[in-house]
Amino acid sequence: MLFRILDPQTKANQFWRDFDRLNDELTRSILDSQFGSSSNFPPVNVYTKEDEALVTCLLPGMEADAIDINVKDNLLSIHGKKKAEELAEGTEVHRREIFNGEFHRTLELPFRVDQEHVLAKFTNGVLNIHLPRREEDKPKKVSIIAG
Amino acid sequence: MNTLTQENNREVTEKVAEKGEKTPAKVYSPNVDVLETEEAILFRVEMPGVDQSSVEISIEKDQLILEGKFVPPTESRGQVRLAEYREGNYFRKFTIGKAIHSDKAVAKMKNGILELTLPKMEPKKTKIEIQK
Repeated sequence: MLFRILDPQTKANQFWRDFDRLNDELTRSILDSQFGSSSNFPPVNVYTKEDEALVTCLLPGMEADAIDINVKDNLLSIHGKKKAEELAEGTEVHRREIFNGEFHRTLELPFRVDQEHVLAKFTNGVLNIHLPRREEDKPKKVSIIAG
Repeated sequence: MNTLTQENNREVTEKVAEKGEKTPAKVYSPNVDVLETEEAILFRVEMPGVDQSSVEISIEKDQLILEGKFVPPTESRGQVRLAEYREGNYFRKFTIGKAIHSDKAVAKMKNGILELTLPKMEPKKTKIEIQK
């Protein structure tokens, strides 16, 4: 957002709503032209436990078999292509906010992953990838002998 | 002027407050494609993580309200390392500037995308005779 004039709560009227939207879109397009469209698609969340990481990823509208997941050491890459819906002739487009196109994301995890036991599930447009930590890398508790 | 005008979801917070929830869930405005063919108006709404049973669509006069309830997972997912999106409910409201058959609306949910087809109504022509 380039600037804000008023606190959003006070903007009850239509003019300020439209103004906000314009402001948002302008800011986004300026940022994109300056730095190149940031490859933030798809958005991901990463959660970690001591022996496992969970990556969740929003991919609404994708088919499970069009998503490619690769794991190597501590790197996870998600790749895919989202096809644009074909439009029938004479279709008028009022709004187009949903992403189409190719995407590629690589994420670095805090530990190396046991590639054999990665589990990925795709439900309701959310991809969940469970990545267990390698057995040999798991922290081992060292017991202290009292002496 | 656009035939389909979107209303911003500034009302969302009020709506949550009305229901008297103690900790109002976060509400997000989902991405939408709105297309219009000769026969129908088509809405495609991104609602990842929302189950078919938790989507609510209502049409009242020219107001279309799309709502999706997000159910958070019960098991712990660990420490958050990276959070590029947040989870919550979805809400978006539209004003439809065309006559539609709301009772013939068809909705489908597939892979986190809600597809709603609203068939357009044929404009009825009524001729009025002038009395002599």
